[in-house]
This record gives sequence, structure tokens and C-alpha cells, in this order.
Amino acid sequence: MSKLLKPVKLVVIAGEAGRVTRKYPFEEPLVTPDFRGKIEINASKCIGCGACVNACPPNALQLIEDKEKLVLRYFIGRCIFCWRCIDVCPTGAIKGTREFELATDDISDLYTHVVHSRKACASCGNTYATEKIIRYVAEHASLSEEYLDKCPDCRKRNFIKALSRRRSGFE
Amino acid sequence: MNSLLKKSIWVFHLNTGSCNACDIEILDALTPFHDAERFGVKLVGSPRHADVILLTGPITIETLPKVINAIEAAPRPRIIVALGSCGVGGGIWHDTYSTIGGVRSLKKILDEKGIQVDGIYYVPGCPIRPEALLYAIALIKGLVSKKVKGEIKYAE
Repeated sequence: MSKLLKPVKLVVIAGEAGRVTRKYPFEEPLVTPDFRGKIEINASKCIGCGACVNACPPNALQLIEDKEKLVLRYFIGRCIFCWRCIDVCPTGAIKGTREFELATDDISDLYTHVVHSRKACASCGNTYATEKIIRYVAEHASLSEEYLDKCPDCRKRNFIKALSRRRSGFE
Repeated sequence: MNSLLKKSIWVFHLNTGSCNACDIEILDALTPFHDAERFGVKLVGSPRHADVILLTGPITIETLPKVINAIEAAPRPRIIVALGSCGVGGGIWHDTYSTIGGVRSLKKILDEKGIQVDGIYYVPGCPIRPEALLYAIALIKGLVSKKVKGEIKYAE
């Protein structure tokens, strides 16, 4: 008899417990405020310094250098959502979101590129740094302004030239 | 909506050397709390019964021949859903000596061997939330639209 009544008991238990299943795609997900999702890069604040690239454990953020351009590439498919890049960014250009619904059928959806233009050296013409990082340095260290438009090699060469001129009197 | 998967999706769970975090989340998605069976998802024990292969892990060299066997055993149309950062892009192991680094390298190897795959879905996350897996299933079913989009931004 008890064997026959077992389904009835189960129905009673299920009735007491009520519905537990979430209706997820049709309702809001259960995301806590400290959940870490995908990051968003603000291109107008980013200076292309590469601090986030050094901090990124799985190399989801990478710098691709060209003669004219410098590209910061963010690949969500490799990101482990540790948010270290947010901690190290000097300008606060990277912001964290709670976004986790990142499923896609096309891999190119997972890439974000931030394109920077590089500045050419005033004396030799080679590109050496992004224009925005030079502006950032000029704002924060006003003394360095006279060297800023030259590449590191030209700076060294000029320094040695100046030194030799001072020591010997000729170049 | 994926035109190849109009009926119930039967999934085969294939661990290719993952840390088991994504595997636990897959099981979580199948429990009554999240209940992937609402969409007809059923976990099957053999790739021969599966429509979709849930691939977790960065595919280690040791598991590679077994992974190829399992994918070859699945009937056409066969869809791979790469789960987690490791499955999609190799994750933190993308350049280590003992892994091949995610599903894209696997696709190249499968193409060389002449094993066709009819579609790959990518679900990033470390680990994926159970909701992220449900979202991917809903995306296959055509219940939700794609949110993430590739961008090229210019820093003036």
C-alpha cells in the first residue's frame, strides 16, 4: 500500500517546496554586485601605455605595434575576468561591467581593438610613442617638454653630443 | 536560430583537461534550479547520441587523440560549444607546452584530418556562469539575440 502511495507523498512534498526553477533567459539573472564580468575600454581616456598588457595574466590584452599605429587588442575569449587591468590603469580608462552573456557563434565578436596613432620623432622621423602618452607625460612632468618630441635614441645621441661639446669644445 | 538544431539538443560533456570549474557549472545548469531540460537539453553518455559537444578545457596534448575520436564519433550535424576561457582561446594556458590552446587550434587539426564540424559556439567566462550556458542554449534556440559585438575604437 505504501508503495502505491509513494507518488502521492512526492506530490505533497513538491507542493510544499514550491517552484525553485529560475526562468532565466526570460528574467533577470542572479548577479551579485561584486561579480566580475567583461571589461570596457574607454578609447578617449586610453593612452596606450601598456600597463594593462603587463598585468594581464593570460595575455587577453595585447599590444600590436606597427610603424604608424599602435593597437591595444582585447580578446574576451581568453580573459579570466581578474580585473587586474582596472587596478593598474593610470588614467582609469578601463571599467568593469557585470556583463557575462558573451555567447556567440562568430569569434570576431570577441575582439575589441583600440587604435592609437604614433608620433614621429622631430629629428630622425622614426615613430616612438603614442601621441596621447606624450600629452599625458607633458601634463604630469613639465620639465621634460624639450625632450618630448624626440625619440629615445635621438635623446641619447643629443646628450652625448652635448657632453662631448662641453668637455672638448668641438663636436 | 541555428537551422541545424531545430529539435531537442542532446549534449555530450567532453572534458579536455580543464580544472573542473566549468564542469561543475555544466552540472549546475542541469540541476532543477537552472534546469536546462526546459529547452530539451539532455546529457547523454556517448558522443554517438549527441547533437552538441560541450567542450571544456584547453585541450592538452594527452587528450587530443581522444578528443578527435569523440568528435568523429558524433553524428552530423555536429556542433561544438566551447566553454570557458580555456575552451575558447586557451585561457591562461594559451602558450604552454602541453596544450594546443583552445578550440580554434582544434578546428585546424580537425580540418587537416578531414573531420567536418558544422558550427562552433563560443562561451567565454572563467568559469562560465550556469546562466551563460543557458544563454548560449537560448541563442542556439533563437530565444535571445546576441549581445556581444566586435569593436574597433579610435583614440583620437
